Amino acid sequence: MGAVMSTGEHVTTAVPGPGHRPARHSEPPAGPSAGARPAGHRRWRAPAVAALVLALLTGGSLFLLKAGQLTGAPSADNRALTDTEATARVTGDVSNALTSVFSYTPGDTGATREAARQLLAGKAARQYAELFGQVEKRAAEQKLTLTTHVVRAGVTRLNGSSAQLLVFLDQVSQRQGGAPATAPAQLSVTAELGDGHWRIVDITSR
Amino acid sequence: MARTTRNPVVAAALALTVVAAAFAGWGGWSWYGAAQDDSLAFAQKRDEALAAGRQAVQNMNTLDHRDLKGGLDTWEDSATGDLHRQLVDGRREFERQIQEAKTVTSAKVLSAAVTELDDRAGRASVMVALRITVTAPKGEPARKESRMLGELTRTPQGWKLSALGQAPVGNTAAE
Repeated sequence: MGAVMSTGEHVTTAVPGPGHRPARHSEPPAGPSAGARPAGHRRWRAPAVAALVLALLTGGSLFLLKAGQLTGAPSADNRALTDTEATARVTGDVSNALTSVFSYTPGDTGATREAARQLLAGKAARQYAELFGQVEKRAAEQKLTLTTHVVRAGVTRLNGSSAQLLVFLDQVSQRQGGAPATAPAQLSVTAELGDGHWRIVDITSR
Repeated sequence: MARTTRNPVVAAALALTVVAAAFAGWGGWSWYGAAQDDSLAFAQKRDEALAAGRQAVQNMNTLDHRDLKGGLDTWEDSATGDLHRQLVDGRREFERQIQEAKTVTSAKVLSAAVTELDDRAGRASVMVALRITVTAPKGEPARKESRMLGELTRTPQGWKLSALGQAPVGNTAAE
């Protein structure tokens, strides 16, 4: 393309010679007309750029909105089952804690009290402490043994260092020489993670 | 090039376009990342299964003798597989019993959890604690707390119960 143009130029400049040049030079004063082509471009350019920017901003916003819907959904920050390791961990810790805390023999309620001191915290620890005095007395008087088994435990909510579980358990109580009696229980348990261990902070009977 | 940098309007427009493009790119990347995140998708499936399980267990514990057909149709709608077959087989006998007893049974789910979820196989296990209220023609409504274990199977119509029973009491030493 350059070759064709240049030969054209050469022809035109060669023949009319200098006469042509002044004409060209006189054009700049009529500058607006010389700049007419760029100005025409500019007239289109501004709205085009604006439209492009608007389209990009809209697109970006929509993407972010979509991403927000996915990551911000209530299901997203609940790691129950999605984090299998943490789910198994909290299920195991809480099941073991409930078993220890709700099992005792008449001669050794001290071990249970000690387990509770380590495995319970907060409201659960306070409530347990209030009750356990009576429990110890009854266990001694009636020669009562309580054994707790976890039937099924499931995590309803798990995020970071806090978890909620639903636990089905069986409590077998037996007086010395008597027949064992089994009572089912359903508990909602709140647990908190500290020092690598889950501690129960709240227990609600369902 | 020299001209564009000299014109502040063009420079600003260019900068704005670049910023907007970067913003769009960031948005697209975030969305792509979120859409590809397996654990987000899994969490959503878990909650779908849980919601379906809660509803199905509640349905299976709700029955009004004045609307036996509607109630038992809902039961069958909530079930699939073996459980569905049992319901269909036992329907006539059950209708007769309820018509005689004239009971109204309602249930409220107190808490529920998904304990297993196999998304590929389309199977899930749920545990549900619920309160069941049975009202007979005479006497006070009887309330009892119930704990149930259910198996869910995914069907083209969504998750449905393929097994449902009381959590066993008293033989858990093997657990």
